[in-house]
This record gives sequence, structure tokens and C-alpha cells, in this order.
Amino acid sequence: MESNLKFLDPQTLAKLQGLELRARSIVEGYVSGVHRSPYHGFSIEFAEHREYTQGDDLRYVDWKVFGKTDKFYLKQYEEETNLVSYMLIDTSESMRYQSADAPLSKLEYAQCIAASLSYLILQQQDSVGLVTFDKEIRSLVRASSNPSHLKQLLHVMENSRPERKTQTGPIFHDLAERLKRRGLVLILSDLFDDVPAMMAGLKHFRHRRHEVVVFHVLDPAELEFPFRQTTLFRGMEGLPDVLTDPRALRRAYLDEFGKFLQAVRKGCRAQHVDYVLLRTDQSLEIALSSYLASRMNRVK
Amino acid sequence: MLVSPLVAFGFGNILMLGWLAAAAAPILIHLWNKRRYREVSWAAIEYLLSAMRKNSRRMRIEQWLLLLVRTLLVALIVLAVAQPFLQQMGLNFVPGQRTLKVLVIDGSYSMGYKPTDKSRFERAKQKAAQIVEESSQGDAFTLILMASPPSVIVGTPAVEPRDFLEEIENLKLLHGGGDLPATLGQVEQVLKAAEHAGLARKEVYFLTDLGRNSWVPDLKEAEADDYRQRVARLSQEALLVVVEIDQTAGDNLAVTTIAASEPFATTTREVGFSAQVRNFGTQPRHHHPVEFHVDGRRIKEAYVDVPAGEQSPISFSHRFDAPGDHFVEVRLGPDLLDIDNHRWLSVPVKDHLRVLCVNGKPAAGALSGAADYVALALNPDAGDARVPSVVEPEIIPESGLLERDLTRYDCIFLCNVAQFTSNEARVLEGVLKRGGGLVFFLGDQVLPDRYNRELAGEQGIRVLPAQLKELVSEAQYHYRFDPLNYGHPLLGPFQGREQSGLLTTPVYKYFRLALMPGSKARVALAFDGGDPAIVEEKIHEGRSILFATEGSLSSIDPATKTPWTTMPTWPSFVPIVQEILALAVRGQMAEHNVQVGQALGESLEAMASRPAVNVTTPSGAHEEVRMTLDAQDSRWSYPDTQHSGMYRVELGAPISRNEDFAVNVDTSESDLTKLPPEELPKEFTAHNRANLDETDSPSISHRSGLHKSLLYCVLGLLFMEVFLAWRFGHATR
Repeated sequence: MESNLKFLDPQTLAKLQGLELRARSIVEGYVSGVHRSPYHGFSIEFAEHREYTQGDDLRYVDWKVFGKTDKFYLKQYEEETNLVSYMLIDTSESMRYQSADAPLSKLEYAQCIAASLSYLILQQQDSVGLVTFDKEIRSLVRASSNPSHLKQLLHVMENSRPERKTQTGPIFHDLAERLKRRGLVLILSDLFDDVPAMMAGLKHFRHRRHEVVVFHVLDPAELEFPFRQTTLFRGMEGLPDVLTDPRALRRAYLDEFGKFLQAVRKGCRAQHVDYVLLRTDQSLEIALSSYLASRMNRVK
Repeated sequence: MLVSPLVAFGFGNILMLGWLAAAAAPILIHLWNKRRYREVSWAAIEYLLSAMRKNSRRMRIEQWLLLLVRTLLVALIVLAVAQPFLQQMGLNFVPGQRTLKVLVIDGSYSMGYKPTDKSRFERAKQKAAQIVEESSQGDAFTLILMASPPSVIVGTPAVEPRDFLEEIENLKLLHGGGDLPATLGQVEQVLKAAEHAGLARKEVYFLTDLGRNSWVPDLKEAEADDYRQRVARLSQEALLVVVEIDQTAGDNLAVTTIAASEPFATTTREVGFSAQVRNFGTQPRHHHPVEFHVDGRRIKEAYVDVPAGEQSPISFSHRFDAPGDHFVEVRLGPDLLDIDNHRWLSVPVKDHLRVLCVNGKPAAGALSGAADYVALALNPDAGDARVPSVVEPEIIPESGLLERDLTRYDCIFLCNVAQFTSNEARVLEGVLKRGGGLVFFLGDQVLPDRYNRELAGEQGIRVLPAQLKELVSEAQYHYRFDPLNYGHPLLGPFQGREQSGLLTTPVYKYFRLALMPGSKARVALAFDGGDPAIVEEKIHEGRSILFATEGSLSSIDPATKTPWTTMPTWPSFVPIVQEILALAVRGQMAEHNVQVGQALGESLEAMASRPAVNVTTPSGAHEEVRMTLDAQDSRWSYPDTQHSGMYRVELGAPISRNEDFAVNVDTSESDLTKLPPEELPKEFTAHNRANLDETDSPSISHRSGLHKSLLYCVLGLLFMEVFLAWRFGHATR
């Protein structure tokens, strides 16, 4: 178990080559770690009752049957593949950033999450699709539940080039129109974009009855601004350079950045969008748990 | 001259100001840092830009503020090290003007206090040398030793420091006190003499231990006024700076007195000596060693306990083997002030006292002569071979006075002598000049007019303490003595001993004695009517004692057929004659025991040739003294007794005699209590030694504590810098 859990640590993942291997490590590690089978209890269709035995999860006890018979029965469900998930990965230039202390770049981290989730989803016979975007949609892979679909997804991810600016607003609007089948939209991005436009896009997804989970992937340096000596900050995505004494500016920067995070959080909450802040030096367990929680919500 | 005080600003170490350039270091470091930066790609640049836009002004101000604080920090450190000072002067000060520096070194013996390897005096000399060495070229110096009396060592302003430093080096500490008012008088004279020397600025440095004895002079009202005015005048003319040498308040033990219990010493009996050891400190001293030396040989060792601020007596006795001058020394175990740990006593020792009794009314029968009772009273054990005679009286007739060599006698009793010639008067005066004693008993032979003329100063010679007036007697009445509360030492032994019969001694007839105007004579014993019975006075070096009535039964009142007094047969007679003798010869010992500063000397009988007089000082130096001659006698005097100890005087032929003189310190200077600098008269500027170590120049003694304030500012700025750097750069919310 220990050896499996360590694959949730980005430091270890960084040493593994190939997204598939990483995804497999993550999922297997996570599944073993949570002590609960991911293969039960997630479908919609009821299958049969089974008598309660010691150690069963009380959540699945059918209390109506208990009311009638005074016996404990558990509800068992048929596994179904009618859940469609879409991975939206931001491949803009800013996602390329990786600070000295971070084991992975934001994009690599996002890809790990996307790959892992895809692997997990496909293992459950659910469908998963993929969109990479910056200021426009770079690639779009239709959702499928075919296990071999994973290879295609990983291939697209691995070939994405983070070079351009982001424009989430129009992209989200476009995708909200294009993704006809309602499902779970998982957005992996640093969200360095115009917040109101982005929120409008998210609103569109919600309008289309999609369940949205925003994985806000950030580098620890962006959250802490740990620089001490005079630094020339080279702007990405066409923004200008800044030469400054970071110690003098740290507080002001953190204020600004805090306001941005707050605006994003507030916007997500208003749209009933799940917001998950991920640091690239953080265990991937959080990302997987958030996905599974959203999945549960949909089941209910 | 009306002067306005000026304030001048300067630096003690001006070369240090070159380091002010270091104040640019923070600016240079800042610029260098701006050029030396690292590069990073940054995704969240939008937020950084936004923060920059909103905070650039604040950041610039913060940066300037930090730079200012750091620059100031360096600058203030440099300024503080350069020792800035403010000088307030009573004279218009133009930079480059020459200064007259009057150095007054305290020469009182408390400066001999040695708390470290150097005494206060040595440190004062060192400090004085430092003032000279650190003075500007062209400055002139004078040197005064504040002693009692003060001495001007260098009175003419010296411009050559090397010679002047040699004078300082050669200064020796004296064993006397410090006479501040007289020293200020000398300072005033030195300043006045230098008025036309082109030295517009004047500074007087007092290098002293600030002993209260010297700095709070005990003055009479008129003297105190004079002193205050002199200080005020001096402060107008010069800057008066007091440099306190050694701030420690010292504990000290001293021998304050030494005395023999007998008025004279002979080889026939032991002589007791007593001394007082005083503790001038605040801590009691236990088991402190004391040694007694006679003629340089230790004869006894003892230990003494002295409570703080009090004194303890110690005593010992000794029997001298040989006649001549001997010296006794009480020596305390070592403490930090050695000068007052010794006290000497010169004791002239004789085989026995020689007393000449001049009989003014000889008679054939036993005890019928005028001097017989007195001679008996002087040596009551005469004829008893078992008792060695201390006093050897010799009776001569009146006519024998001029035939005798009176220098052989310690005391001369003149009993009922009718009159004296001028020659006799001169001879008697010689006795007094040599420290001998004269005792006059009167009687029916006495011619008062002749006495008054020849002996009471009317002819220029005065050996009598009072003038003789009319005879007093009343029929059927006898007078008694009034001891005047036993106030005179002569009557001390009678106090509480009424059975001695002094108060019941009957006197039927006496001469009324009248003290001369301005006389220092004292009445030791009076009659019940108030007239003096015994009058004594120290005349020259000796003592003259006059008894108003008879010392025998030889004077018979023709009217009543009774003697003038029956006192010679009274039990009080022997003790009173013995006491009179003791008082009369006391001068001999006192003459050889003086205080530091008092001259040694004595009168010698007139002689054809002048004997050579050589003085050997305690340090072993030999000095020849010239005799002074006048019509009647010759006299030598040696005034240079500025050091305590034994002085040996060798009188050459034809006298061929050695005499020892003891010179002791006045122990008021042993009290090391200091005058706090804040209690100094406001005209003096105290140099606060607490701020400066020994290597600091006293020439900045009157500087303000500017550098100290600057260092406080530096400390404040240091805290401010740390706080601002933290607040501006590192504080997180």
C-alpha cells in the first residue's frame, strides 16, 4: 500500500516517464489507498438486494425494506456507462510555468490528473472526452468508453504545445454549444484570464446542465511569491517584463493574486461549480477525490 | 571686559571624518543590486503588473527611506567616532588662536593614594603630559603645584613642550595638604603675568582627586568672600576645568597622633607612648598590624581593630638606654595610602633633668632659703639611693646666674630673686629661645618695677608672662586657690583629688599679676578673689611660668609675722612643682616635633664662630643650612620640610651635636572623602571621567557628550532599519 500511495506524490510521478504509466500508478495507488472498491455503488440502475453482512457500508442499507421486514438488506446497482466526462485542458503558454521547487509544470500536473481520471473513468466503463485549448480549441476528442480510447487521449495530451494566450470565455461558450450530451465537465487550467468572461463561459456550461468541476492548477511560487533578490520577471503570453525587488512587492502581489483567487472562487460558487485549487507540489489524491465526489453527486 | 560666551563645534579625531565617504556604501550597494538581477519567466505577470502599478510610488518612498536610514547610520557612526564636541568659552574664540594652558596638579598627599600600580599623583602627571602633547602648536603652558603653600613650578608660559614635560616628570608629591585659595591666587598671578604674551585664550586645568579637604576650604567669612570673588574673576578670564583623577572613594587608615605620656624622658625610667589609629574608611578594619620602632629598630608588634570612621588607641613603653635624641616611630601595616601610615616622635632623652634653682634669699638653716622647698619638691627622693633621681636640682645664689652655662639646664626656677640686670634678662631669654623653661616664684625680695622693666618687655626683653602689680594681703584673711574648673593642663592631675589640699592651701600675701594686652598667656590657677595665681605662656620656644606668691616660707609679712603662704608645707606643693616643671620643659620635645611645612630650627648661644649645620632629610639627601646671627644669639632654620619623616641635624664644632627632628603629616588630608563634581562651584567645569577611559584626551574634558548622543541615534536607527526592512520587505499578512 505504501508503495502504491507514493505514486500520488508529484515528486515520484515526475520520475515516471509516459502519461499512461503515470495514470496507472495514480489510480492503482489511489484505489488501494481508499480501501473501497470504485467498481460498486456508482451506477444509477438498481439491480438486487443482498443481505447485510458485517463490514458492509451502512449507506447502502435499504431502510424501507428494514421498515417492512426488520431485516437489513443492501441495495445493489447495475453498473452503467451512461456518464460522459469531458476533460478541458488549458494548454496556453502560462501553463508551461514550473518554478524551481515544483516537480512538475502546471501543464504536466494537469495532464497527470486528466490521464488518471480518464483511466479511472474508462475502467468504470464510462465515457470520457478531451479538449485542449488556449485562445482556441486545439484538439477535441469525442467521448468514448472504449478502453482503447485511453491511448488516443494520452497521445493528444502528450502532443499539446503550450505557446499561445488563453481566452477561456469564448472557448467555454463554444464548447458549451458543441458538447451536446450533458455530463461532467472537468476544467484543468490556471485560469489566468478575464474572470468575468470565464465565469460567463462556466455559466453557459451550467445552463446546458453540465456538471462542472474546475481544477485550478497553480504553481506554489505563484501562491507564495518566494523570490528575494532583484528579479526580471519575463512576461508570458505576450505580457511585458517586470524588473523589481520582489521583497518590496510581495505583499502587494499576494494581495492582487488573492483578489483573483477570491473572484474565481466566488464566481464558481455562484455558478454551483465545484472549485478545486491544486498546487503542483501537492498530492494528486485531492484531484481524484474531488472527481469522485462530483461523480457521487451526479449519481444522487 | 565684557565677554559673551561662544559655542564652538569641533572634532576630537578629525581624521576619522574621511570615513564619511563610507556613507555612500548603501547607495552603491543599492545601485549594484539593481544591475545584478536574475531572470525568471512568470506566468502570473498580470497580477505582478497590477501590484506594481498600485505600489510603485509607495515602493519608491520605502526604498528611499531605507537608503536614507542606512546612509545616516554609517554617517553617524563615523561622526561619533570622530568625537565631536561643543566648547563654550568665556572669551571670543577664533580658530587658530594660541591658548595658555595653566596646569594645576594637586600636590596634597591624598594624591599618593595608589589603587592601581600608579598613584593618583602619577596619573595626574601622565594626564598633564597628555594635555601638553595633544595641544596645538603655539600653545603655551605653565605649571603650578597645588600644595600648602602652592608652588609655581613654571610661571612664565613655556612654548617648548619638551622642557615643560620634563618639569612635569620631575614633580614630586609633597606630604602636605592642598591650599586651593592660595593656589587660585597663584593662578591669577600667572594669568596676569601672561597678559601681554599674545595668548588670548586661557584654560586652567586642575588635575586633582577632588578631595573634600582641599576643595571645600575651611575659611572665615571674609576669606570665603575673597575666595568666591577670585573664582568668579578667574572664570571670567579663563576656562576652569577640573579633571578628576581616580573616581574611587578610598578607604584609609592613618596614625593621627603619637605622644609620650611623660613630658620628658630620662634613662632612669620607662617612658610610655600612645598613638591613635584612625579609620577614615567606611569598612571596619580588624587585626591590622602596627609596629613600634625606636631608632629604626622594631621593638614591638601589635594588632589593632578600628571601627569605620573611628579611632583606636595603641600604646607601648620603652626605656631608653642612652641619653640624646631618639626617635620613635609607629608604623601601620600597608594600605593604599602609605604616607600617613607612619608617625614619628623625636624624644630628647637625658640622664636626668637638670634644674637650676636660683635662691634669691639665702639663709643658713635647713629649708630656710627661698629655693630650698622648691628643690626638695623637685626631687623628693633625694638621698634615697634606691630611687634613681629623675630631676637633679642645683641651688645657686642670685649672683651665680651669669656665671653658669645655662644651656646645661632644662629648667630654671627663680625663687624670690629681687631683681635682674639686662644681661641676666638676656640670658634668661636665651633659655626660652632654646626651648627651656623659666619658673618664677615671687617673695618679699622682689622689686616689681625692676621685674616689669627688665623682664616684662619694657626694655625689649620679655620673659615674664604677666606684669607684677601691687601686693595683695588682708589682715586675718587667707586666700585660697580657684582651680578655674581645672581647665588648664597643669591642674589636670588635681581634678577629683581634693585631698591633695590644693583648694585649701592658704595664701596670705601675693603680687597681683596683670596680663599684658594681646598676650597669649593663660591663667592656670587663680585666687578666690579672681586674681591670677599661676600664669604661663609659651615665649619663643620655651615656656615661662609665673607664680604670684612665694615658693618657700622665707618671706614673712612684717605686719602679721606670718609667711606669705604655707603652701611649701602643704601636700599640694610637691605635685604642683612637679607639674610646673613638666609644663616648663615640654617645649623641648615639642620643638623637635613639627608638622609638614613647619620650619626646623633653634637658637644657639652666641658664639664666636658659626658652626656648620647639615640637615639629612628622610630621603637621605644632605643639605647645608646657613646660620643667622643677631646681636645676642645665632639661629638656624630649615624651612623645606615638605616630606614627613626624621630629619637629622648635625651641628658642627664647636657645638658638635646631633639633633633629631620628627616631621609628621597633618592627617586631615588622610580623609579621602571626595567632593562630588556636581557640588563644585558653577564656575568650574567638571570633566566627567565616567565617559572617557584613561587614554582619552583631557583637552576634550569640557566637551559635551555629543558622541554619546550620536551613538544613541545610531542604536535607534539600527532598530529602525531592522524594523523598516522587515515591514517593507518581509512582513506577511
